[in-house]
Amino acid sequence: MRDVCSAAVDAATGAGAEYADARVVTKRNQFVATKNGRVERLADSESEGIGVRVLVNGAWGFACDRRLSSEGAREAALRACTFARAAAGRHSSRQLAPVAPASATHRTAVDRDPFEVSLDEKVAQCLAADEGMAGPEIVVRQAMVRAQREHKLLLTSEGTEVEQELIECGAGIECAAARDGVFQMRSYPSAHVGSSCQMGWEYVDGLDLSGEAPRVAEQAAALVRADVCPTGMMTVVLDGDQVALQVHESVGHPTELDRVYGTEASYAGTSFLKADDLGSMQYGSDLMNITADPTTVGGLGSFAFDDEGVPAERTAVVEGGLLTGFLTSRETAARIGAGNGGSMRADGWNRMPLVRMTNLHLEPGSGTLDDLLADVSDGVYMETNRSWSIDDKRLNFQFGTQIAWEIKAGKLGRMLRDATYTGITPKFWGTLDAVAGRDSWRLYGLTNCGKGQPGQSAHVSHGAAPARFRDVQVGVGT
Amino acid sequence: MNAIDVANAALEVVDGEAEAVAHVEHSGLARFAGSEVHQPTLIENAMVTLRVVQDTRVGVATTNKIDADGLAEVAERARAAARSAPPDDGFPGLAPPADPPKVEGFDEDTARLGPQEQAKLADAAIDAGGDVPVYGFFTSAMSELAVASSTGLSVQQRMTDATALVVAADENGSGYAEQTAWRAGGIDPALVAQEAAGKARRTRGGGEIEPGVYRVVLEPYAFADLLDYFSHDSFGAVGLLEERSYFAGRLGEKVFDEKISITDDALDPRGLPKAFDFEGTPKQRVELVEHGVARGVVWDRTTAAQSKNGAQSTGHAPPAELRDWGPLPSALSVSPGDAESVEELAELVGDGLYITRLHYLGVVHPREGVITGMTRDGTFRIRDGKIAKPLVNLRFTVAVPDFLRDVLGLTSKAALVNSQNFYGERYPYGVMTPAIASERFAVTGIGSKPGI
Repeated sequence: MRDVCSAAVDAATGAGAEYADARVVTKRNQFVATKNGRVERLADSESEGIGVRVLVNGAWGFACDRRLSSEGAREAALRACTFARAAAGRHSSRQLAPVAPASATHRTAVDRDPFEVSLDEKVAQCLAADEGMAGPEIVVRQAMVRAQREHKLLLTSEGTEVEQELIECGAGIECAAARDGVFQMRSYPSAHVGSSCQMGWEYVDGLDLSGEAPRVAEQAAALVRADVCPTGMMTVVLDGDQVALQVHESVGHPTELDRVYGTEASYAGTSFLKADDLGSMQYGSDLMNITADPTTVGGLGSFAFDDEGVPAERTAVVEGGLLTGFLTSRETAARIGAGNGGSMRADGWNRMPLVRMTNLHLEPGSGTLDDLLADVSDGVYMETNRSWSIDDKRLNFQFGTQIAWEIKAGKLGRMLRDATYTGITPKFWGTLDAVAGRDSWRLYGLTNCGKGQPGQSAHVSHGAAPARFRDVQVGVGT
Repeated sequence: MNAIDVANAALEVVDGEAEAVAHVEHSGLARFAGSEVHQPTLIENAMVTLRVVQDTRVGVATTNKIDADGLAEVAERARAAARSAPPDDGFPGLAPPADPPKVEGFDEDTARLGPQEQAKLADAAIDAGGDVPVYGFFTSAMSELAVASSTGLSVQQRMTDATALVVAADENGSGYAEQTAWRAGGIDPALVAQEAAGKARRTRGGGEIEPGVYRVVLEPYAFADLLDYFSHDSFGAVGLLEERSYFAGRLGEKVFDEKISITDDALDPRGLPKAFDFEGTPKQRVELVEHGVARGVVWDRTTAAQSKNGAQSTGHAPPAELRDWGPLPSALSVSPGDAESVEELAELVGDGLYITRLHYLGVVHPREGVITGMTRDGTFRIRDGKIAKPLVNLRFTVAVPDFLRDVLGLTSKAALVNSQNFYGERYPYGVMTPAIASERFAVTGIGSKPGI
């Protein structure tokens, strides 16, 4: 594959590109899903091709081809140059932050290669968990497991040559109960296609889907009888899963520097942050510490080098509540004059790399969930995301969870359904007054982060622990 | 190789019961921001998905390696998947041979557009923005879908599509417009940019309002988005069977204002026509709501087999990777009304809101059809029957059935709104809808001012 990449880079530079990179990517996915005791999907997909990105007279071009041959590579490179030339003419000068050429290989460490685990075993795991959720009023039972292997080789005209194999897998269960027109869902370990990790099958085994299934079903059945969550300003304690989503939506996306500069304005949106907020903007309370860390073991956003060949590095994004970093590409890093990028990721061979979250964590505090609850006289504890929405600048958000409990005098009380909360990003993070400690801190892996035109879906992880927020608006009227 | 050749070649390497779905894409998207092209993407791809059936055991495998070795590999992976699947008594079998309806949806001139022309059309939008920087794209594509199976089924369709989409924005305002069609010649990127820029200029200095329930006019962009999200749970067979749909237990009942009639009509030449679904079943026009009465949902072969009421597939099987979502509408069409213009709708509203576009919708309660989201790129107050002062972006939390229960009016012209964000393989679809005025739209929060 090195020859194929090399043919593309040579063709691009020969056609006048001042910079070119070529990525050969082969991605294989397995997905097993069951519903109500029946295998609903048993699929094994593979896709391969080359993506060539060029800079011609300061204008970007990108073209791709599924053919992994010198001919396919050269044609893609020339098409990319043609597109760049056609688009040139009104672009500003484009600088890339310098990065030392690297030559390296990297592979996710796994105990059990997920593609060595038989499909029979995967189906059996799903069916066992599916059966474990059976019960009266349960109208839907679903279980899924997934595995992905992505092999990629990046070659740049600056001399970088990086080969990486990233392996991930994940799993989840979900059931729904219906009674008298009330419909409620419950999931484990997360909603929206479970949770995933960059690890071997030991991750899925460790989730113990079958063991958790009865609890999930019991809670779904209880939810259809539960009272609706009250509305009002109150103290909210979020579980780690919901904190992870809160970090993703209200810290991760607004700190993507391409959004700050407006290049995502036509789809995902922009950011309430400005470039000159760096080092001066108070994002949240002094307990808020956010790090971007593509070196996190098990993180879906982990790599040795990003898709521009920038080495992985842990960086602070928010320290003691102060904005101290952005997620950047080489281009945006050069523009802001800080760092050298390191957050560029592409969704496979046929998409252009974009600034994406890697692994973005809320650093742990101290104590346990019980400690957080103990200091609440009247509030709500919310668990597992159900709905999410946030504005194009990432300021006004409204999130809902699958389940909640009232907190009275420091203890959990009755179960509540249809819980939502809403807020304005920096004001909300300003009310953070406790984060549970390292023992409660978990990695949550999302596989549905959308951005870009044409659309790209990224896999990212967030480390989070339960956290407490004061004076939060719970519920909305309709 | 065209799509049907790929599908037939894949089918040939499998002995026994099998289905091959081939999807070919040639596309270009010139994305611009701050009035310069910054992410131009050209895609060439061909995918084939093989579904192998062994005594009701079903396995699926996909590849884009379409040479002999690649097809042999994908066939073996599909067979291996089938061997691991337990018998499925509910498997409805592969679709029988079909003669799908003849539809429009392919234009040679659009298919021929290359990067030079795509960049030029993006440039036309950029030029037309004037003093307001523009963000968006021009894209065009030729795609092919073919389904062949051991039942003798063999269907194919070539499609073209083109979209110009523009957010015009500066620090103080933002506006939005788009045009989508299967003929690029029917799209005027400059006009799209002018509409967006004109609206952006009118949004400067947006003020706040108190949360509450307002009368409202939604432009087609906004209504299409709201309806698309509502359809995911309520207009598909899975939602109905699982009691998640608002229509569960309500079919035959009057659920909306009698001005509301909604179909899913992939055969409409004004839309992005489709002849058959991803199982090769011919597309049908499906009556979802007729004068406010809930009439039906869309089905594929799997859900039809699960129905206790003898439902048949309506030609809405999704691609293999979305099979667990079940059948969903992909050509929603709302019957127009009598209003000559959005200004006439504003007159009907009298005092309320005018909303261009929505952003980041989320389903809060699927069974009740409650959806939240933000307004964006053109939100205004309506005063004394006129579109008046601009507003900041608003959070809404709306029960769609409430919104559609008291409809003040709809415009007589409908617009096609693109619903594909171009994830995965290119498969153009959209919503055909007029603008709508409703009695009830719940504003539940205040967001940021319009602008970049």
